[in-house]
Amino acid sequence: MIKGAIAIFKRDFKKFLGNPFVIIFTLLMPIMYLVIFGNAMGGAISHVSIAVVQEEPYVNETPLFSAVVADLKHMAQKDSPPTFDIVVYTDELKAKRALQNGVVSGVLVFPSPLFSDRPMRLYVDSSDSVTPTVIVSGVNAALVQSGTRNQVEINKIYGDIKYIQFFGVGVIVMAIFMTTMMGGGIALIKDREMGIIEGYFVTPVKRSSIIMGMIASGTVRAFLSGFVIFIVDLLITGIILQTTENFFMVLLVLFITSIGITSFMVSMASRFSNQQEYASMSAFFNLILFMTSGAFYPVIGMPDWLRWITIINPEYYAVHALRSIILRGQGLDVIGMDLIALCIFSIAAMMLGIATYRRTLE
Amino acid sequence: MTTPAAHSYDQEEQQRHPRSGGYPNSDESIIRIEHISKIFQDRQRTVTAVDDVTFEVKQGEIFGLLGPNGAGKSTLIRILTTLLRPSSGTAFVGPYEITKDPEKIRGIIGVCPQNSTLDNELTAYDNLEFYGKLEDVDDRILPDRIGELLAKVELTDRAHMKVQTFSGGMKRKLEIVRAFIHRPLILFLDEPTIGLDPESRREVWQQIEQLNAENTTIILTTHYMDEAEKLCGRIAFVNQGRLISLDTMDNLRLLLPAGDLIEIGFDRMDERVLSAIRAYDLVISAEVKEQRLFISAKKGSTVLPAMLAIFERYSVPMTTISIRSPSLEDVFIHLTGKNLSDGVPNGDAEQKGNVRGYGR
Repeated sequence: MIKGAIAIFKRDFKKFLGNPFVIIFTLLMPIMYLVIFGNAMGGAISHVSIAVVQEEPYVNETPLFSAVVADLKHMAQKDSPPTFDIVVYTDELKAKRALQNGVVSGVLVFPSPLFSDRPMRLYVDSSDSVTPTVIVSGVNAALVQSGTRNQVEINKIYGDIKYIQFFGVGVIVMAIFMTTMMGGGIALIKDREMGIIEGYFVTPVKRSSIIMGMIASGTVRAFLSGFVIFIVDLLITGIILQTTENFFMVLLVLFITSIGITSFMVSMASRFSNQQEYASMSAFFNLILFMTSGAFYPVIGMPDWLRWITIINPEYYAVHALRSIILRGQGLDVIGMDLIALCIFSIAAMMLGIATYRRTLE
Repeated sequence: MTTPAAHSYDQEEQQRHPRSGGYPNSDESIIRIEHISKIFQDRQRTVTAVDDVTFEVKQGEIFGLLGPNGAGKSTLIRILTTLLRPSSGTAFVGPYEITKDPEKIRGIIGVCPQNSTLDNELTAYDNLEFYGKLEDVDDRILPDRIGELLAKVELTDRAHMKVQTFSGGMKRKLEIVRAFIHRPLILFLDEPTIGLDPESRREVWQQIEQLNAENTTIILTTHYMDEAEKLCGRIAFVNQGRLISLDTMDNLRLLLPAGDLIEIGFDRMDERVLSAIRAYDLVISAEVKEQRLFISAKKGSTVLPAMLAIFERYSVPMTTISIRSPSLEDVFIHLTGKNLSDGVPNGDAEQKGNVRGYGR
């Protein structure tokens, strides 16, 4: 019994040592968790943009306005950049539009000097899980400091949105990634490992056909799983979509996201000839992409270097687009940029996949 | 077609076998290999799998590539089928150069690799359909073609079963018919009958001959001598990556010892026995090698009693006796034996064999 166990142990351990790639990724994973998860989740919130505007009729800046704005500007957590970026608007409607389009996270409306005892109004983007709380507490603190007796009316422009609703959108994207991870490129690697590849490499099939075919099948699967999780998400979190147009727009985003992520995984897979290596690599990317997508925690809480990753992260655009439609009922004007970014990413990934695919056995 | 390299090789061949006339089929060459080498490198070592090989394959012939395991046959096939790039040298398959026009080559060849490349998770029908589509077989005729091929290998009733439920022989046969689903000009078969039972082998041979009759050029690797003898018009022997001989089957038979081989084991030998045997009428040669006497004689079975009588006469005890007709295997052992010691004959028998083989 012992002899057998030792033999099995030795065999397995030899295989483990013979695969440095997997060892490195095994060690890299927890480190990445520490660095990315730690930074993405617990980071001090900074640079939250707030629009400040005074009610009509505008005469001049009230002392209250100047005092509160100055206070907000200087507010910061220890050793962090300023918490708020203050943008002064002169037109309340414009400020509100900026909030709706996601340019700013909150709008603080001060009373006109002519009606200085009217309450102040604070509008916050409640589709975000963290920033409303930060803004409300920041504004309250500033008001206390200024000694004003004005009341603050808080308006959540998208109503009460629970964390599960915020997070649910991210899970839809995760479903897409998971499906591509399990299915996306693994068939290509399996073919190479089992030697099946030798059989069809001698046919005139082009490498672009191989890659595009794999991407097409992966996309359909990823889209279907994204769709199922989308429906489940609606049922579990109790979100009601405003229009059928929104429903179809979600499907469009899911489809383009599926193409993008599948292309990425297939193009990665075409470089590997070992399933284990591919599995560790895809787990690694899953972590980075999902953590920095803003699915868990708003991107605004991340350090700058992590925010750079989000710029090339397709999941960031997918999460943003889906949240815009599902939670805020926004349309193409807001998600247009996300769709363009996703398309560029998909095309780049496809080209990479086709260009790097090895059409020989070497 | 007549590059200097190919030409000089032909000349050499002619010199070696001045008696060999034209090749059986056509003189049009369809594959031309010029100084192909393939070197595999990894951190620890460098392996030369194919070492400066040059030869041609004529259109319409069945060409045999023979050699032991690891001789470089499969590597050569993989280079010709565009799966590997040569380290140096070049080759033309049809009118196309292997590194410049791999795609065109893939369109005119059919390949049955040595290891199974069937998708076990698909049915027999689906496997054939997949390849038919990749090979660009007309969709209108593809279903009929698949049916025809499945019938050929008697798998019609299993057409819609997954390949993983098939026996090794069934898989092998399916794989072979898959290779010519698109009626290729050239068919590469890498160890086609490995692991098949005798009956299946005969079936496969029949198919190969039938395809060849339809004017398909066939390149076949094998390490079964009987297979090569049965099928091939010309045979190239490969050992340790080098081409050590290339000739028609008929000419290779001339290399064989003319009579039968009698092998007698002993503990001690008496010179008188040897000279008596050599003096015997029908004996062509008799050589001693490692406690064994190798006698080459015409009408071996009638000579054998006389040989035994000679041993008896001088009271030399025998330990073993065997008699057999020589086969291609003997040519092979003879050729590779010479090759292994870098061309230096390692015994009288070898030398004599050489003289007889090449001297005619």
